[in-house]
Amino acid sequence: MSEPARRVIAHLDCDAFYVSVELMRRPELRGLPVVVAGSGPRSVVTTASYEARRFGIGSASPAAQARRLCPQAVFLPPDFPAYRATSQAVWALVRERLGVVQVIGLDESYADITDEARPITALREVISRVEERTGIVLSVGVGPNRLVAKVASDLEKPRGFVVLSREQACERLAGRSPRIIPGIGPKTAARLQALGIGTISALAQASTADLAERFGRRQAAYLLARSQLRDDAPVSTTSGPAKSRSSETTFDEDLQPGAGLEAELTALCEKLFGALTRRGARGRTVAIKVRLNDWTTVTRARTLPEPPSDLETLSTVALELLRAYDPPRPVRLIGVRVAGFEGDLGQAATETPEQLALPLT
Amino acid sequence: MKISTKRDALFTQLQTVTRAASTRSAVQTLSGVLLVAEDGRIEMRATDMEIGLRVPLEGEVQRPGSLVLPARLLVDVVRALPGSDVSLELRGAEQDVEIRAGAATFHIRTLRAEDFPPLPEVDADGQVSVPARAFVETIQKVARSASRDETRPVLTGILVSASEDSLRMVATDSYRLSVKETQLEAPLESGFEANVPARALQELARIVGQTETESLVASVRSNQVVFEADGVVLSSRLIDGQFPNYRQLLPDSYEHSLELVGAEITEVVRRISLLAQKNAPLRLAFSEGELTVSARTPDVGEASETVPVPFAGEPLEIGFNPDFLRDGLEAVDSGDVALKLISPLRPGLIEAADGSGFLYLLMPIRLNV
Repeated sequence: MSEPARRVIAHLDCDAFYVSVELMRRPELRGLPVVVAGSGPRSVVTTASYEARRFGIGSASPAAQARRLCPQAVFLPPDFPAYRATSQAVWALVRERLGVVQVIGLDESYADITDEARPITALREVISRVEERTGIVLSVGVGPNRLVAKVASDLEKPRGFVVLSREQACERLAGRSPRIIPGIGPKTAARLQALGIGTISALAQASTADLAERFGRRQAAYLLARSQLRDDAPVSTTSGPAKSRSSETTFDEDLQPGAGLEAELTALCEKLFGALTRRGARGRTVAIKVRLNDWTTVTRARTLPEPPSDLETLSTVALELLRAYDPPRPVRLIGVRVAGFEGDLGQAATETPEQLALPLT
Repeated sequence: MKISTKRDALFTQLQTVTRAASTRSAVQTLSGVLLVAEDGRIEMRATDMEIGLRVPLEGEVQRPGSLVLPARLLVDVVRALPGSDVSLELRGAEQDVEIRAGAATFHIRTLRAEDFPPLPEVDADGQVSVPARAFVETIQKVARSASRDETRPVLTGILVSASEDSLRMVATDSYRLSVKETQLEAPLESGFEANVPARALQELARIVGQTETESLVASVRSNQVVFEADGVVLSSRLIDGQFPNYRQLLPDSYEHSLELVGAEITEVVRRISLLAQKNAPLRLAFSEGELTVSARTPDVGEASETVPVPFAGEPLEIGFNPDFLRDGLEAVDSGDVALKLISPLRPGLIEAADGSGFLYLLMPIRLNV
């Protein structure tokens, strides 16, 4: 596999983003373990301050567990409008200086800085400017592609600044689990482990034939490329059109299969159908997702000859899928998804006008 | 402490002072109003730590002292009181206040007075007396351009500069910039410059608007400013950091400079904006001798209107946020408007054509087609 033309890619990641925004508003909490989490019995931690992480609290830990691990932590409910506002401010500053920037979610982005005469200086400037203007601290990784940049930004958080060539990155990660590579999930990692492949270097040296036997040719090639930290995905400044939309809900208490569960699913269909209509999106594939109280997660999908044109059709298909699966245990989460969108997303989605800003200094 | 006063007076002054009380502070006392009765005078105070208000209350002090009551509740109670006279008395043993009016009696638990922060005194040094109306009118011209985005604190203020014979205020949220320069009839004793939270100045404008007062007194210190008007004292912290150098944002020259009848163009913009919903831009298409203002909201509809304007040259189409454009036009208020443009992606300028010293610089919206 040959590397395309040399590129310099940076991954910029906000340290403990939600907590940082909260601390700006409530500086008296600085230095304390702070956790941003919902308040329901099943909510999860969205961000924990580095002080809280010392108690073993991480993102996506159940909030209840976090409360047990660190009862003295300050728990705050998430305030997404505030996070979105700060996020916009952060990435506007980054865009101002770096040009080609692809923002992922609220708190991370990739920048292609190949054409930057002094890329490191430029990044240092951006980092201090962002901190000065918004109080947000960035960890940055730099590498020849997005994958290396991403793992590099994660290596020395918080306030990390790590520049690695692909080879250096392979060396630093050699002994780590393949799981830490974006694109290799827990299931794949477990299957690799079963093959006796427990580290990134072991995976990088595995034979294509062995992998292909277990994972198929395409997936084998992908795993090898990932483990060797090869990645030629461009930093794209225009996000591709959405491929699917979904709506799901976790119940505060498990629901027994039956009318109550079906009512929840119907309500979700209504919500999803509303969202699809607003965006003018139509897709032919309807899928449901069911998570049982033992965390078994099952999806069932059906592709229709035509996109469902009314709510009735969508909920009928979703309910049929649910009845066909017939959950054997109480259900903790249910969701519905529509995928396989037609090309045209409607004008509302494509025509987002851009308000220009004054070049304030 | 025991005082008696008129219900209406109490209610009016309470409504003013509670605007500074905090609505969401972790310190409960900050959601309260401090009543101070001493030397035969009564004063009410509230603060959210950013701005503070001290409001005098006419009444009789029977026993001096001070206490803090929850602001919201107190306003609701006083609004509902019967009769015209009211008395408030602190009952030390019960830690509450007895409020009596007509045949009604309320007992309301006090908040901790010792948590109430001291508010700055008006100090005689460094005071500048400024004409109240000119000051307030200047605030009202620019206040809408101040940012409400707390992530860029420096833009949430209005830069107030007073020199001997003129007063200038500048505000920008980075999408538009308002500058108003007001010539003063009588020279000030001394000048000052400060970035004052827009919220504080808007409160000040409201307070002054309710009085007949002709002048207000400002004293600016290193990190705070204190205004006094008609016995009401408003203090505010100042905003740290360098306010943008607005002069360098103003283009040196423009391609087009059109003089328009303010009221007419404002009406057109108001009308057509009805169909610029959901972030849709207002389109201004200029061609020889005319301007077509149009808007389109997907799934809702569209509108357009053509008016004659003294435009010459290559046609030009530019998009603006309808609210921002309207704010600028409305701030000119009356008389003719000068609209100056360069190109579709460069800022446009709205100016009062009568030379009254108002400038409104507005960045466009990039039009997709």
